[in-house]
Amino acid sequence: MSYYLATQKEIVDWIRRLAAENRLYFPEKHGAASYRFTRVGPGSDIQFDHYTPTVVPPVKLLVPAREELLHFRTDADGKTEVQPSLDTSFRIIAGVRSCDLKGIFLMDLFFREGVPDAYYLARRENTAIIGYACNTPCDERAFCAAVDSLDHTEGADVYITPVKGGDLLVEVKTKLGEKLTDGVDWKPCEDGAARRIGAVTARPEPFGRTFPAALPEISKIVEKNYESPVWDKHVKRCFSCGTCNLVCPTCYCFDVADDLHLDVASGNRTRSWDGCMLPHFAEVGGGHNFRPEPAARQRHRVNRKFTYLPEKFEHGAACVGCGRCGRQCTSHIDIFDIVTDLIQEGAR
Amino acid sequence: MKTGTEYYHQLARDTFMPQPGRIVEIADMTAKDRYFRVELEKPLGHHPGQFVMVSVMGVGEAPISISNGPGKDNTLEMVIRRIGRLTQVLHDLKVGDTLGIRGPYGSGFDPANFYGRDVLFVAGGLGLVPLRSLITPVVAEANRFGKITLISGCRNPSEELYRDQLDEWTDAGIEVIRLVDGTENMPWKFGVGLVTEPIPKLKLDPEKTVAALCGPPVMYKFVITALGARGVSYDQIYVDLERRMKCGVGKCGHCQINKIYCCQDGPVFRFSDLALLPEALL
Repeated sequence: MSYYLATQKEIVDWIRRLAAENRLYFPEKHGAASYRFTRVGPGSDIQFDHYTPTVVPPVKLLVPAREELLHFRTDADGKTEVQPSLDTSFRIIAGVRSCDLKGIFLMDLFFREGVPDAYYLARRENTAIIGYACNTPCDERAFCAAVDSLDHTEGADVYITPVKGGDLLVEVKTKLGEKLTDGVDWKPCEDGAARRIGAVTARPEPFGRTFPAALPEISKIVEKNYESPVWDKHVKRCFSCGTCNLVCPTCYCFDVADDLHLDVASGNRTRSWDGCMLPHFAEVGGGHNFRPEPAARQRHRVNRKFTYLPEKFEHGAACVGCGRCGRQCTSHIDIFDIVTDLIQEGAR
Repeated sequence: MKTGTEYYHQLARDTFMPQPGRIVEIADMTAKDRYFRVELEKPLGHHPGQFVMVSVMGVGEAPISISNGPGKDNTLEMVIRRIGRLTQVLHDLKVGDTLGIRGPYGSGFDPANFYGRDVLFVAGGLGLVPLRSLITPVVAEANRFGKITLISGCRNPSEELYRDQLDEWTDAGIEVIRLVDGTENMPWKFGVGLVTEPIPKLKLDPEKTVAALCGPPVMYKFVITALGARGVSYDQIYVDLERRMKCGVGKCGHCQINKIYCCQDGPVFRFSDLALLPEALL
């Protein structure tokens, strides 16, 4: 691991150089206030500050909204040949904040476990990540510190922290990171680790919203309050639209469907995002729905983030505190408020 | 941990590529349920209670119960109800046509757990289809078990499945109790009532009894309650559950029952392992 100090301009120039030779995504501003991970081209606006989390998290570049699993073709004799469709192209995702690094880290765990997922892992292995530290909360919805993701840097190949004096501290964390920074003429930095700690300790405290309980307690509280009026309180405003699922960095449930091309001889099997808040998510053939009420679906979603997945993967929370679900919800239903209410309900 | 493009290609093939299966026999069981016998390229190597993902490329894929007992040949038997687009296309297939199979998936039953015990099967409607994969090996080795009883119920006489098979099991000395919810003015020489009704009168030694249940979601609670009232302990009641499934490998999320995954941890469970999962039964 090595450290450099670079100016904002040097880093932006470096990103542009990488983008000229690679497929590189960066959170670019769209419209008045929303950010999207967009492929960087010559005219792209690259700036690290004034950021609010992108509508869709960067991990969805590794779990696309729709992806081909298999493609097939039936020949004139009626024999069908099926082949897997695998994306092994190289990409760089730059400007990934800690909450989203944590999201990618958790997805790595989910997709490696049990029967490993070839499609995710092939993309992941061919993805370089340039992380960027948040020294101030992005907006009033963030609660990354409350779920231990504010200091998550694992998974980044290069991690950039703004430090005192306006320079950027560049931490090269992996072999791939060395490759990305090969030939740069930035100033090597001997006291990188100390400068990083300096930046961390200078952050506001508390950093973003905090829960009235510690993380290990929260899992127990959510589990214990399986029957609770809180499950009805917020869901009253829920349209079951599934937006919270679609913008969540740790939601990965999918549907599988086939497409037949117009030649009626070839086509593909695709998977696309599905969401446990959608009304038909747990419905079986014949019409029986195992989770017909929105409250049961919301309870399932919150439990997946705070009890089911954390227990299965032995990790604190499967919620990264990015605040996207609350930010994007039409009815302003926020998982932070649900969990806070459960904690307060449980304390009564 | 293995990595590399070649490995991922193989992994993708192993996970999602169906193997071809050739339909060698089709029979109508009811107006909407059709029996299929399929020859695979190699033995399925399944346990009773497991399922396969059945697909027609260009139409779709769905989880379907395996209906035959384990064996060394390449046979797969299924009964498929016409219920949606894929099952309609499956019903349109003819003998000699090919469909896609991947699996088997899930935990399944181990008949050895039932050795020396009285065995009670309770099947509601289509539940008889997967249970047959367990009843078949149990009946084949009947001397290893105590008294074998099957309660099989369906809505009306026209919906009864595997009629000849039920006759054969009866002839083999199995107590087969055949029930309909109502005769609906159709000829019917067996009983009328719910599958729970015979349970209080069954000759069974609760200490020695193991039960295996499969049926519509509403059935389980009532049957388990009736068995509990007879003193059959919850760790001797096995349930075979149904959930929506899209992948079969614990990823797509549809089959989740609280913290467990029906496709991998089930679909067969000891009821005692489910008792603390509120989403398991209705």
